[in-house]
Amino acid sequence: MTNSIPFLRTTIGKKMLVGLSGLGFAFFLLTHMAGNLLLLVGPEAYNEYSYKLTSTKLIYLAEAGLVLMFALHVFLTIQLTAANRAARKTPYERGAGGPKRTSFVAKTLILSGLVLLVFTILHLITFKYGTVYTVTYGTTEMRDLYTLVVEKFREPGYVAWYVFAMLILGAHLSHGVSASLQSLGLTTVRNCTAKKIGWAFAALVTIGFIIQPLYLFFSGGAS
Amino acid sequence: MSETLNLKLKVWRQKNARDEGKLVDYTLEGVSTHASFLEMLDVLNEKLIKQGDEPVAFDHDCREGICGSCGVMINGAAHGAQLGTATCQLHMRHFKDGDTIVVEPFRARAFPVVKDLMVNRTAFDRIIAAGGFISVNTGSAPEANNLPVGRETAEAAFDSAACIGCGACVAACKNASAMLFVGAKVSHLAHLPQGQPERFRRVTAMVAQMDSEKFGSCTNTGACEAACPKEIKLTNIAQLNRELLRASLCR
Amino acid sequence: MIKLDAKIPEGSIEKKWENRKFENKLVNPANRRKYKVIVVGTGLAGASAAASLAEQGYHVQAFCFHESPRRAHSIAAQGGINAAKNYQNDGDSVYRLFYDTARGQPGQQLLLGAYSALERQAGLKTLEISYRHEMLDLVVVDGRARGIVARNLETGELTTHAADAVLLATGGYGNVFYLSTNAKYSNATAAWRAHKRGALFANPCFTQIHPTCIPVSGDYQSKLTLMSESLRNDGRVWVPKNKGDKRPPAQIPEDERDYYLERIYPAFGNLVPRDVASRAAKYQCDQGRGVGPSGLAVYLDFKDAIKRVGHDVIASRYGNLFQMYDKITGDNPYETPMRIYPAVHYTMGGLWVDYNLMSTIPGLFVTGEANFSDHGANRLGASALMQGLADGYFVAPYCIANYLGGEKLKPVKTSDDSFKASVNEVQSGVDRLLKINGKQTVDEFHRKLGHIMWDKCGMARNEAGLKQAIGEIRQLREQFWQDVKVPGSGADVNQELEKAGRVADFIELGELMCIDALERRESCGGHFREEMQTSDGEAQRDDDKYAYVAAWEYAGAGKPEALHKEPLAFDNIHLAQRSYK
Repeated sequence: MTNSIPFLRTTIGKKMLVGLSGLGFAFFLLTHMAGNLLLLVGPEAYNEYSYKLTSTKLIYLAEAGLVLMFALHVFLTIQLTAANRAARKTPYERGAGGPKRTSFVAKTLILSGLVLLVFTILHLITFKYGTVYTVTYGTTEMRDLYTLVVEKFREPGYVAWYVFAMLILGAHLSHGVSASLQSLGLTTVRNCTAKKIGWAFAALVTIGFIIQPLYLFFSGGAS
Repeated sequence: MSETLNLKLKVWRQKNARDEGKLVDYTLEGVSTHASFLEMLDVLNEKLIKQGDEPVAFDHDCREGICGSCGVMINGAAHGAQLGTATCQLHMRHFKDGDTIVVEPFRARAFPVVKDLMVNRTAFDRIIAAGGFISVNTGSAPEANNLPVGRETAEAAFDSAACIGCGACVAACKNASAMLFVGAKVSHLAHLPQGQPERFRRVTAMVAQMDSEKFGSCTNTGACEAACPKEIKLTNIAQLNRELLRASLCR
Repeated sequence: MIKLDAKIPEGSIEKKWENRKFENKLVNPANRRKYKVIVVGTGLAGASAAASLAEQGYHVQAFCFHESPRRAHSIAAQGGINAAKNYQNDGDSVYRLFYDTARGQPGQQLLLGAYSALERQAGLKTLEISYRHEMLDLVVVDGRARGIVARNLETGELTTHAADAVLLATGGYGNVFYLSTNAKYSNATAAWRAHKRGALFANPCFTQIHPTCIPVSGDYQSKLTLMSESLRNDGRVWVPKNKGDKRPPAQIPEDERDYYLERIYPAFGNLVPRDVASRAAKYQCDQGRGVGPSGLAVYLDFKDAIKRVGHDVIASRYGNLFQMYDKITGDNPYETPMRIYPAVHYTMGGLWVDYNLMSTIPGLFVTGEANFSDHGANRLGASALMQGLADGYFVAPYCIANYLGGEKLKPVKTSDDSFKASVNEVQSGVDRLLKINGKQTVDEFHRKLGHIMWDKCGMARNEAGLKQAIGEIRQLREQFWQDVKVPGSGADVNQELEKAGRVADFIELGELMCIDALERRESCGGHFREEMQTSDGEAQRDDDKYAYVAAWEYAGAGKPEALHKEPLAFDNIHLAQRSYK
């Protein structure tokens, strides 16, 4: 009778998973950014926070969830993009100008996403799996992540790359968040609200992340 | 303002679906600014025929923006740069003397080129045949006044029903996605009481057909909304997403 | 000798259709699949009939010369539909509807409804749609319509299709005039070729001119856009009192304007019927009071309405139309009056059919604008939608069933000689067009035909003009077959070849329209003979001599067509002279 495809195998179902995992990751970024603001307070606050965060068993569950979400987001996006590319074999001679031009950021989400993929891997290598310094507060010995961060954020080249990556993240979020809301069917006739939410969220996360390297670079950080 | 234009045209010429196709340069003098874009192509064709060349094939019919037959990419924009306008409603007064105009067919794997600027959009018909209807046998529809529909609902349904099936949404989308077309039809019927009995079956079947026609997926760039000659809103796609989710949860 | 029997059922007007349905022969549902019905045309009338027949179980093949049935020109009917609704207390009734229609006083969604009903059947595989196929001949076997020859417009291939009955729903012939409000592809070819196979063509001269269209702006003009008639509710029609007054409208003072409809027809004012409004506009322009660059337009002014009810109310009533006008002309109707002029809009004539929608060829049914019925000499706006739907959804399926149930049809195959002969004839016609390789394009011929028709067989006709037109059309036909240039081949998409075939038919039909107009020496609805008008310029009928349907029989190439007269009987209303003063 009626032909139908299981929901998660339709393009719409896949887009919903992309949106859902994207939003999940965006929420993680917000908490990550907020926690990192402790860098501006001082070494002890920051190191204590990261120690508490990593010493609970739940962290493994959270990390596994993040990895899964990230992998799903990347895998489905690449799969959909390949199908999208195949949906038009001959490209147009010219792109639309004037009022029918579409935003560059929206059209290049896959590229900003790939930059962020590279950044994320390098970021993990640099910090999570980077040099382990230790420090003791009271009687507890813990990892001195603060020193590693300050060390990295004193290199002008690294700061430049980091700020660049965060701007790319901002671009990705500025379209990604509202697009996810749309994919999940959460927008209604007044869909400018979703756009505004997307922009505000992207600005908040990006500015929060960029403040940190700039502050440490110009102040030299506490030692 | 000058009443006539001299134009350089780059027009896609392709003998048939198997042919490679290429852009061919033409010059056209003395085009009236009051002529429509299609009338400009008519003038070009008269000139080509007189020269012993084959005229450019393009689809058109009502020439008043309602049948959805016409539609070409004009300088990269579906139906040209004017918002809310079909190609036949675009007039030459929006161009300048000496302009170069690139004219290409609506391109998508699901819309194979038939000849020159003419493409085959029967994929849309197959999507409608899959579920874009109400299963009431003809002639047995109940008296319409017995089914009250609120003004706002009726208007929302009507806004979605304004789709003329021209395919500009697909042509403008970087992914050649048909989501706005399908979204408009699904939203239209989902708003109305007559559309309720088959609401879930309809959206499931239409999306399955859409996917099997090899249209791309939606990345929410909004190019379709900008290209639509009837200015159908992007929120129709959000509604389509909701409808499909509900259908799969409730079935 | 053909005898025109309308086969109107007995009984009072409200009961006629009930009586006919009761008398009709039935086809056993289990047997319906064995009967094949070809439906040519998938507009409102065709799509509704095809869907209904398929639902009832017949084997239906629908032919659509568009890429999709939704492209049909019925989509452009956006004004409204006439029907007897059962709203309480408004006193409407079937009788009143009939009465209003005979006295001569909404579309996109309807086509979409018929289209989706059709696609639903296509999806259910109860019906097959042949896209981009144009009917080029009717195949008649033993005096009955048994199939068609169609050309695949993508590949150029000629295909034959056999059936037990053929239903034409191929629209009207307004494009004889080249410029009309019809869609560009609208044509008379299917109906005309059926005419040449023996179907009588009735009242070809009855054409309806619509008064509110956007005027012609240049030689390149390809069609005329209709502005909805509803604009006349609030717009005031005027021309400058002085001949050749070329000032912009805003600079023409109130006392130098002539609101001629309000002046001549104080009772109806700007709302007089279409033909009256059209002729009045033509008269003013002929007198040299026309406006715009061509002098062939009158103003439709909303200044007073905007002053009276405000910009916003006018915008809510006509916003879309004003926007459409602005798009086409570049003028803003809120600030400057619209320019309008009449244009050909609807053709009341068409293939003769009886009460059962059957033509003079048994098995050939005709519905919608393609037939001559329902509208007499002047269609009431929006009645055609009702006709298309009622005939398609309700009437045609019953009548075709009655025919199939009542006849013993012998089986035919497309390999039969009559099919082969038809294909050969069509093929040689196509080859002939391609071989001429003359100097003039098809559109040039079409424009010339349009000029002759508009000047001499348009809003007002007279004996001398019609005779001259007939001579000119005959010359044009000769030139066409010697000097037309059709580039390309017949083996792929060739839009010039498609047009050439249609224009060749339009030329022949145009001649018949002039002959019919010449023969009818009275003014009647859409047909206005200048010799036949009252002292104050109104149409004058001659019911003693002309109260008949003129049905023309094709007699072979170059031979004069034979006229058959079907007398009109008015059982339910009395004929009266109209007056809108």
